[in-house]
Amino acid sequence: MELYGKMAATQDVKGKGEGGDQNFDYMFKLLIIGNSSVGKTSFLFRYADDAFTSAFVSTVGIDFKVKTVYKNDKRIKLQIWDTAGQERYRTITTAYYRGAMGFILMYDITNEESFGAVQDWSTQIKTYSWDNAQVVLAGNKCDMEEERVVSVDSGRLLAEQLGFEFFETSAKDNINVKQTFERLVDLICDKMSESLDTDPAVTTGAPTTKLTDSAPPLQQPGCNC
Amino acid sequence: MGQKISNTSSKRTQNSSFLSFLKRFSPQKPSLDKIVLPRKGVLAKLITPPANKSSDFTRIISDCISFASTRTQEYLVFKDPEGKFQPSPQTLTQVFLMTYMTQSVNQDLTEAFNCTAMTPEQRILLGADWVWAILEKPTKNPKIQIAVQVLHLPDREEAEERAAARKPVSESIQMAQMESRNQNAYERMVDFCTSIGKDCYALFLFFGKRDDKENIYGVLSNNFEAAVGKYDRIDRALIENFLKGLKYFHTPLGMMQAIFTKKTDEALTLMIKFS
Repeated sequence: MELYGKMAATQDVKGKGEGGDQNFDYMFKLLIIGNSSVGKTSFLFRYADDAFTSAFVSTVGIDFKVKTVYKNDKRIKLQIWDTAGQERYRTITTAYYRGAMGFILMYDITNEESFGAVQDWSTQIKTYSWDNAQVVLAGNKCDMEEERVVSVDSGRLLAEQLGFEFFETSAKDNINVKQTFERLVDLICDKMSESLDTDPAVTTGAPTTKLTDSAPPLQQPGCNC
Repeated sequence: MGQKISNTSSKRTQNSSFLSFLKRFSPQKPSLDKIVLPRKGVLAKLITPPANKSSDFTRIISDCISFASTRTQEYLVFKDPEGKFQPSPQTLTQVFLMTYMTQSVNQDLTEAFNCTAMTPEQRILLGADWVWAILEKPTKNPKIQIAVQVLHLPDREEAEERAAARKPVSESIQMAQMESRNQNAYERMVDFCTSIGKDCYALFLFFGKRDDKENIYGVLSNNFEAAVGKYDRIDRALIENFLKGLKYFHTPLGMMQAIFTKKTDEALTLMIKFS
């Protein structure tokens, strides 16, 4: 099995355009998945651009945004993929699961069907991703308390059963958006540290670790993020 | 082939093998009404006789598309007397989209037939400039989609590429390019449409073609993947070949009618003149 530490280091970003900030220690590929209209795009816009619009525009296929975060003096580039929730795009979206280190699996607390689909989405992750991918379950639109049909306890219980972390969130009111991403990054970093502990070869720059010319060599061996 | 597109006999022979991989063309006779009628200005395109309700929808869509095509054509044929200035390919695409969107909003079309402009990253990942979609009620989920990629005259594209090479490229654009490095833009759009199914069409929209630089043409198909097994690559030359030697084309109205009347899972390929 490919090691977790390598996953972060092998993100293959080339090119040295002036507009691109190639200076980072790690790059994590994250995906936001879940039923159509649960608020995946709004969630990403809130996190990446601190913006929100209530107009619903269905995502076509797939899109992504990039955001850099800092953790323990390490610069971590997040490549966050926003996926279309509709069934017709399933072939194209699942193609992007490969290599993802983390998922935000989202449902809408005002939509029972989207909550019922969480198990199926979890199966999709298992089918198309890899065992070590970290998942946070997010019950979005928690600002709409009056229209709630999925209780907090139901969400938490399901997360426990599936082995996921859990947050209720609101892209509209900016509740737990940043925290969800930060928790996912923490989980990935923890997993990386575990992998590195079990395989010191990674920390010494094993030949199979393919660092690209655009990504600088890791300042210190190992994952201290 | 069930296609009734007229063609010169020599050209037909020349192109028959090329087109033979296409399973089926439109069963309809190309609707030529707008081609034989003299152009009477942009507004004339929107003045249409009353039609029954079912065909109203199709006609309104095609009118919006024709309107955008006619407006874009005005800029396509523009020539600076001093030869120093010309609109960029991106500008022409934007003129088309802005005109279409304005028209479709004015016609209250967007609830049933929407137009989604791709983000710069999506344009690279999916190969499309925008996607038209017929929406299901009440879910507003797409029922039929047309992914559109605009192709400009080669000299225009080369000029834009030279200009782009001098500009900094954003990080996300570089990442999108890396993700898509194994395929060209034509292949990416065909892949995208194929991944959805026969209810997603790829429309390659030519803002001018080599032998007619002042008109807008299109090649629409939900069956381009049939070419993948026969040819090494889907490229511009392959798509341009569809237009070679043709004398008659579908109108935008004929295109929309063909799409609406097509049976599920049926292959459909059309060549259209938009301006």
